[in-house]
Amino acid sequence: MNNPLISTVNLKKSFGTLNVLNGITLDVMPGEKVVIIGPSGSGKSTYLRCLNFLEIPTEGDVYFEGNLMSPKSNLNEYRKNVGMVFQHFNLFPHLTVMQNITLAPITMRKKDKTKPKVSSKQIKAEEEEKAMALLTRIGLADKAKAYPSTLSGGQKQRIAIVRSLAMNPKVMLFDEPTSALDPEMVGEVLSLMKEVADAGMTMIVVTHEMRFAKEVATRVLFMDDGVIRADGTPDQIFNHPEDDRLKEFLSKVL
Amino acid sequence: MNLSILNAMTLTERFRAAFITQDRWKLYLTGLGNTLLISLLAVIIGVVLGYIIAIVRFTNKTTGKLKFLNAIFKIYVTVIRGTPVVLQLFIMYFIILASMKSGIIVGAITFGLNSAAYVAEIARSGFESIDDGQMEAGRSLGLSGAQTMIRIILPQALRNTLPPLFNEFISLVKETAVVGYVGILDLGKVPGLVQSRTFDYLFPLLIASAMYLVVVMVLTLILHKLEKYLSKSDRVSHERIRDAGRANNE
Repeated sequence: MNNPLISTVNLKKSFGTLNVLNGITLDVMPGEKVVIIGPSGSGKSTYLRCLNFLEIPTEGDVYFEGNLMSPKSNLNEYRKNVGMVFQHFNLFPHLTVMQNITLAPITMRKKDKTKPKVSSKQIKAEEEEKAMALLTRIGLADKAKAYPSTLSGGQKQRIAIVRSLAMNPKVMLFDEPTSALDPEMVGEVLSLMKEVADAGMTMIVVTHEMRFAKEVATRVLFMDDGVIRADGTPDQIFNHPEDDRLKEFLSKVL
Repeated sequence: MNLSILNAMTLTERFRAAFITQDRWKLYLTGLGNTLLISLLAVIIGVVLGYIIAIVRFTNKTTGKLKFLNAIFKIYVTVIRGTPVVLQLFIMYFIILASMKSGIIVGAITFGLNSAAYVAEIARSGFESIDDGQMEAGRSLGLSGAQTMIRIILPQALRNTLPPLFNEFISLVKETAVVGYVGILDLGKVPGLVQSRTFDYLFPLLIASAMYLVVVMVLTLILHKLEKYLSKSDRVSHERIRDAGRANNE
């Protein structure tokens, strides 16, 4: 049997007296596409942010490939394996699209002394070639030298996804990737995400796009009040919901 | 006696004595050059040290690390901002850097260390102007805190604080006039030197003041151009966002 790629055991997070996560236990297998739905403030985003330690969990454990992770682990090494896409894209405005994508891989490879010695120039050339291939795939090759401020929201988010992909992560976290987009730009981002999913990437996606959940998810979680109230296939969650809160939520969003 | 001589001179003669005779204009230019040199060196020291202070504070605030350094810098800023710069100059010139031969360097270091305390404040506002998402994006890509700071946060903060930093330079041009107290030949020192030869303060003071004024006005003009350029490049990008959005709608 496969081992889980990433899992949490009884994960809790509170901000002061506010308990946002009340014990989340979850195993995500390699290749799974997990979509997390739920009302605002239910802790979905906080859970994602705890997975790569942008938030430090108050209690509970995070395992990656069977290894217990903690703030004391080599988080930089860990985060290379865990890509993250943000609601507000968070592209670097002072860098070109190409630099946005290549900054992290180039910096990491130059620092990595375990690999056979490759010249800085060659690293740069290789990473730029890789980035260009990715940009070509999403049809934005002509934007390589452009600055983020000249791009539309949809383009920015697609670049952000590519930036994350350039690190060759083993799992990708999407934190409401389409919530800040104009409606007409949602489609292009979702179709890129679908492509990434089809390529076999393990994904954990927090979203309000129910159609995406139905089409792409292998598993849907319903979170409310910091706990997972329902966990099943899209068919089970959307067509045969059992939990009352889930039924109420679905009646509002569908 | 002297006064009676002055009374007998026309204004033109007094101006000539203050500026033309014995090539005294060269003295003003030397003074001005030294003033600009001290101010420029001081602002460079101030920006580098001020940003280091701000980075330490920012790191301490966001991660709780560097407690010791943070405490030292806190005391440093309090002392610098809480004492007159003239006394700081005396302390540097007569005690700490007494062995240093170049007064200009002593002046530059004094004002650089002084300026750093104020630049630290400017830099702090620069860091606060950067969205938290920038640090998060850098860290989520696997960059270390220091790498994210150097490659992502710092360049943006520097750009955002260019106008106030330039303003700090303009302030220094005027504030450094006190270095004359320890015998450094800057523009503020020149009127006294000339007066000791001509026994006439009127034109030396007017000329030196006018030179300060012109330099400050020119620098202010450059500052406005810089501000306009920075805000324009922001505005252009906003327009491009809108246009790109529109193009996408079609």
